[in-house]
Amino acid sequence: MIRRPFLTLLAAVAFTIMLGPVVILLGVAFTAGSTLTFPPEGLSLRWFGAALAYQPFLDSFRTSVVVALTSTLFALALGIPAAVALHRGSLPGRRVLENLFLSPVIVPELVLGLALFQQIMVGLHSTATAALVLGHTVLLLPYAVRVAGASLALADPRLEEAARGLGAGPVRTFFSVTLPVMRPGILSAAILAFVTSLNNVPLSLLLTGPGVATLPVEMLNYVQSSFDPVVAAVSVLLLAGSVAVALVTERLVGFTKVFGR
Amino acid sequence: MFRRSAMVALLVPGLAVLAFGFLYPVAATLAAPPDGDPATVARETAALLSDPYLLPVIARTIRVAVVTTAACLLLGFPVAYLISRAPARWAGRLLALAIFPLMLNTVVRTYGWLVLLGSNGLISDVSAALGLGRPQLLYTETAINLGLVQLFLPIMILSCYSSLSQQDPRLEEAARGLGASPGRAFRQVVLPLAMPGALVGCTLVFAGAVTAFTTPQLLGGARERILSTLLYSRVNVSLDWPAASAVALVMTVLVLAVSVLSGRLTPKGSAQ
Repeated sequence: MIRRPFLTLLAAVAFTIMLGPVVILLGVAFTAGSTLTFPPEGLSLRWFGAALAYQPFLDSFRTSVVVALTSTLFALALGIPAAVALHRGSLPGRRVLENLFLSPVIVPELVLGLALFQQIMVGLHSTATAALVLGHTVLLLPYAVRVAGASLALADPRLEEAARGLGAGPVRTFFSVTLPVMRPGILSAAILAFVTSLNNVPLSLLLTGPGVATLPVEMLNYVQSSFDPVVAAVSVLLLAGSVAVALVTERLVGFTKVFGR
Repeated sequence: MFRRSAMVALLVPGLAVLAFGFLYPVAATLAAPPDGDPATVARETAALLSDPYLLPVIARTIRVAVVTTAACLLLGFPVAYLISRAPARWAGRLLALAIFPLMLNTVVRTYGWLVLLGSNGLISDVSAALGLGRPQLLYTETAINLGLVQLFLPIMILSCYSSLSQQDPRLEEAARGLGASPGRAFRQVVLPLAMPGALVGCTLVFAGAVTAFTTPQLLGGARERILSTLLYSRVNVSLDWPAASAVALVMTVLVLAVSVLSGRLTPKGSAQ
């Protein structure tokens, strides 16, 4: 017996809205027909073949992965030291500094994208790839500072004091005590940052150049200009990749711990 | 652990990137785009706020964000509540299922609606079969609302769940034991205690809906513009940079206002 019929009904509607369109996508991707119809007109893998033969998708996928990896590394390299200073530095104005590091979240991504396009790409003649890496690093920095910092906030600072007391220098203390303590947080931040970068549309939208665009932006442009199911096939491939990432994440740190922030 | 000067040195690279990649370009663009000056942006913003064609765009943006937020709360809160009261094994699985869509990009998540709402889509076919004709579903405000509710439900569920999972279920049981009906216990005990999480969820969803781009672009198109899609067309179609800056300014102020307002409403020290 269902104890709360009204709440259960609302929850069922919620899950239908969240997951229904994704189920439709699966149907469309495996269709043998050439239009966006559900239920599909027969089954085939032809649109997967078409997706993998479409050069702009392959190029933009490579761009997306390069941008996501580079900006995740940059964000961690900048964010981890900042998190250490914010949590262990007993600095004056700590809250102001922390808010400054989290502030990119407040500004609409589309606005940041426009700003980088005008000031960095047009103003300073940078390449689209460089602007993408810069923009994504800024976008991911708050995740790195907050998520990596969270594990530091939970750790006991006396561990580090003990290491210092036993004669370790500050650098050795950092690498053999602080960094290992932060490991789960760093791993969570890295996964979250990578997925966030890979999926971004509004920031990447205007940061395009000849032959350079990220995969989601290329997909968006394709959907707006043609009405065949190629993008559904690409989506199903990305869906499969996301399931794999989710399973690995579950093994490493816990899926809901990382994406439930 | 380190000396204070060393600690400051750890912050410098991050601050430098923020200054160069965030503060400087955003300030420069909002104040004066490359081919304009502050006066141009101010003039464009004034024009935007008095243009009879553009005011409905601002109104639609706010309306869409309000409807999306309300619908996400109405549908997401029950999910969060049921998960927080489910046996641990089920709770973990349901939460993972609710969060999983966050791993997919917005084109992937919105695509299904094109199929459902299209002029030869599933809903249209059913409606025609019932003799109700083929209503325009795609490129309507309703389509934008549906797409955005789908997009932001996971965030609302997570925010509500963070409050609800910290609540002691025995409080609700105590209310029942003292004679409250299930509905009354829910309204007078569960809901008030879950307010901080729900408020955070509403803020995140509202800000997200005001700034979302992909979904309103695909489901609203040029017919039903909101601020974000208007900004894009100003940059890419009409190539009018001062006008784009004006739209960006209005959008940023809207989001900031909502964040400040909800910060005022949130009790100090509650979870973010």
